[in-house]
Amino acid sequence: MPGPASNGIPDSPLARMHPMAKIAGVCSLGLATLVWPDFTLGLGIIVMLFIAAALARVLRPFSGVMLGFGIPVTLMLLFIQGCYSPRNTRVVLDLGFAQLGLEGSLYAAKIVVTLLVFLGSFYLTNKTTYMGRLVAALTQIGVPSKIGYLILASLNVVPQMQRRIAVIEQSQHARGLETGGSLISRVRAFLPLLGPVVLSSLTDSQERGMTLETRGFGIRGVRQTSYLEVVWRRSDTVVTILFTVFLVLALVLGCLSRTGLIALAIQWGGRA
Amino acid sequence: MRIDLEHLEYVYPHGHRALDGVNLTLEGDRPVALIGQNGAGKTTLAKHLNGIIRPTGGRVLIDGVDLATADTAQWARKVGYVFQNPDDQLFLDSVRKEFEFGPRQLGFDQDLIERRMEQVAGLVGLADRLDDHPFDLSPTEKKFCAIGSVLMMDTGAVVFDEPTCGQDKFGNDRLAAIIARLRDQGKLCITISHDMKFVTRNFPRVVLMQHGRVLLDGSREEVFAREDVLKQAYVTPPPITRVARQVGLHGPVFTVSAFVDAARRARAGAGI
Amino acid sequence: MTEVIRVDDFSFRYRDADRTTLKRVSFSVEQGSFFCIVGANGSGKSTLCNALVGLIPHYFVGKSKGSVSIEDKDVATSTIADLSRQVGLVFQNPFNQLSYTAGTVAEELAFGLGNHGVSRETMHAKVARMAALMHIEDLLDKNPLELSGGQVQRVALGSTLIMEPDILVLDECTAQLDPLGSEEIFDIVKRLNQEGITVVMVDHDMERVARCADQVMVLGAGRVRALGTPEEVFTDPEVEKWGIDIPDYVKLARGLEDAGFDLAGLPVREDQAVRMIREALR
Repeated sequence: MPGPASNGIPDSPLARMHPMAKIAGVCSLGLATLVWPDFTLGLGIIVMLFIAAALARVLRPFSGVMLGFGIPVTLMLLFIQGCYSPRNTRVVLDLGFAQLGLEGSLYAAKIVVTLLVFLGSFYLTNKTTYMGRLVAALTQIGVPSKIGYLILASLNVVPQMQRRIAVIEQSQHARGLETGGSLISRVRAFLPLLGPVVLSSLTDSQERGMTLETRGFGIRGVRQTSYLEVVWRRSDTVVTILFTVFLVLALVLGCLSRTGLIALAIQWGGRA
Repeated sequence: MRIDLEHLEYVYPHGHRALDGVNLTLEGDRPVALIGQNGAGKTTLAKHLNGIIRPTGGRVLIDGVDLATADTAQWARKVGYVFQNPDDQLFLDSVRKEFEFGPRQLGFDQDLIERRMEQVAGLVGLADRLDDHPFDLSPTEKKFCAIGSVLMMDTGAVVFDEPTCGQDKFGNDRLAAIIARLRDQGKLCITISHDMKFVTRNFPRVVLMQHGRVLLDGSREEVFAREDVLKQAYVTPPPITRVARQVGLHGPVFTVSAFVDAARRARAGAGI
Repeated sequence: MTEVIRVDDFSFRYRDADRTTLKRVSFSVEQGSFFCIVGANGSGKSTLCNALVGLIPHYFVGKSKGSVSIEDKDVATSTIADLSRQVGLVFQNPFNQLSYTAGTVAEELAFGLGNHGVSRETMHAKVARMAALMHIEDLLDKNPLELSGGQVQRVALGSTLIMEPDILVLDECTAQLDPLGSEEIFDIVKRLNQEGITVVMVDHDMERVARCADQVMVLGAGRVRALGTPEEVFTDPEVEKWGIDIPDYVKLARGLEDAGFDLAGLPVREDQAVRMIREALR
């Protein structure tokens, strides 16, 4: 049960996974990439993430985020580290105005894959988890309901503000405000509208705080329950164990290799 | 002022057909009430009158000119629109600035603005609140501030969306005075309302809508004589009208004095 | 009859306000009765509602005198959350009543139950029952932030009723609805009242107040100006002074009496008006 249909989360094994198991996954994969001596493990994980995204039917937005973030960051880091890192000894490419060094490039690759693994696994978790389930799961392990509330309420505030801005903007057109034209004139027409939106969301949140209390929010001496049931299934246990084993293995192998006790079959730079 | 709606259709992006072929002419200075259930299409229709919403079929003519030929900010000179919720409309930090905003956009000179300010502020009852922040006004005063800011623009037609919502007797009396003033100035006032007492007291012409169509259009006497159609549209006539019908008085009666006259005639043996 | 609400010589002034909002207000409400509060805007009706559920003094800061007690519990010494077991409040603006934490209407309805630690099975059963009562079964999976005003109003009322309060305080809670929608909500409230819930309601529709209320209290500039049955209050020639648009039936009867018709009394409800006027026309 990934959550109600209206939340737009396609059903998939990933969507059915317990939110905490997914959080364990984010930590395990991210840390493993971080401790691994070079970028190869991270690259492998990224490929797996793409496959997982396809299985969860969120490949399109996932690719958008990964490429949209990955390409510019890779280019930037490659340029900075590859051309100007003090580590550089071997030159792989002469660009004319600068020389691309091997060590710096490998180091850049390591940073990029680490960022992408964290970003990608977190984005996948976010895209496949109905937030209500995450908070219910947090409540079940004893996280205070106020923290759960903060997470959910802040997720809801932005779309609500966007709706308000749209209405206020509409009503200003009806009072003769031109919002077409150049970007600057549009921004100038738009800025004053932000004030009342912020003000009214402040007064709204005061009323909201009142109603929350009249509905028993923050009551003491009661253990809160949640409407959504988040079941921890055997598959979640298996997956979490796999993630843990994976992290431990990566840690051990990574450390051994760094100390030179074993030589990994392939190791491309990045030892920094 | 004359507004023609020809085969007006509006389908929301998510597929809901809010207006389904409306043919309607609004003209002259007789105040018009738009009535019908929530979702009947009243607000969608009203928002077409100055182009806040653009038709997906058919057309709107203002004094014979197709509305499609200019943008909303241009039509704001011809038709003023007061939103149901004043918070959707007010965005400046004083009542005075709200009042000045519309006429400034339309290029009125300062003298004219000052003169109108005096009249309008008196009419809406905010003459001594001009320097207050709209957020410090009571909900009722805010509503009158929104009304005032539109009246300032001196348009040939004014649309009110649910002006009586949340008003007490004093507020309703003031609204009645504003509607009467607009009529005396030869302006067309179009009002959406659920309050049948208010409608029958102040609006000689009534348009009844249901499912995006006009069911009835005529004088209040004509419309409220069609009990079958009103019932089908879930409109309940006001108390005096209902009592008159149940005691067997002739024709729809809206006021105490009309009721007394009808009762006199009935006692004289002419009506019952 | 037992008193479930007792307000004793209660005054309140909001901090930084230049005038006292409520002045020496005293009244009591009997268990199971339908009590209406009417008055012009700014007369203190909403402030009084806030005092009944403990938002005053626990949420709004200000100076208060006198006391408010709910079922013999002094509001000033209890917490709002504790009071939420006895009394539920529904406000004017339903959008501000959403918890903002629920992705679906079902979770919104269950929010209060979760705070009170109700078991999941009971929660599901109650949500289903409330959805049926409020006619919102088809909305259960929808996002509450994407509903129309009327739909949100039902959700807001449902999420208060689901906590089964003994006392329901309604502050102009049908303002967003059309006449048919507000009558539906109203019928539900009336039925709950007949089943034993005490209702305190603020409303502008005096015909409706006259039809439902056991007791009507008129507030004018923060003071109690009249208190009694609808017949007593609405036929009092003084109440119109306080911005009360008395039921049209009373105005009609007065007009007929002035014109020489002989009515058996002043009707405040439609059925009374029809009966008396029929008699007079004979």
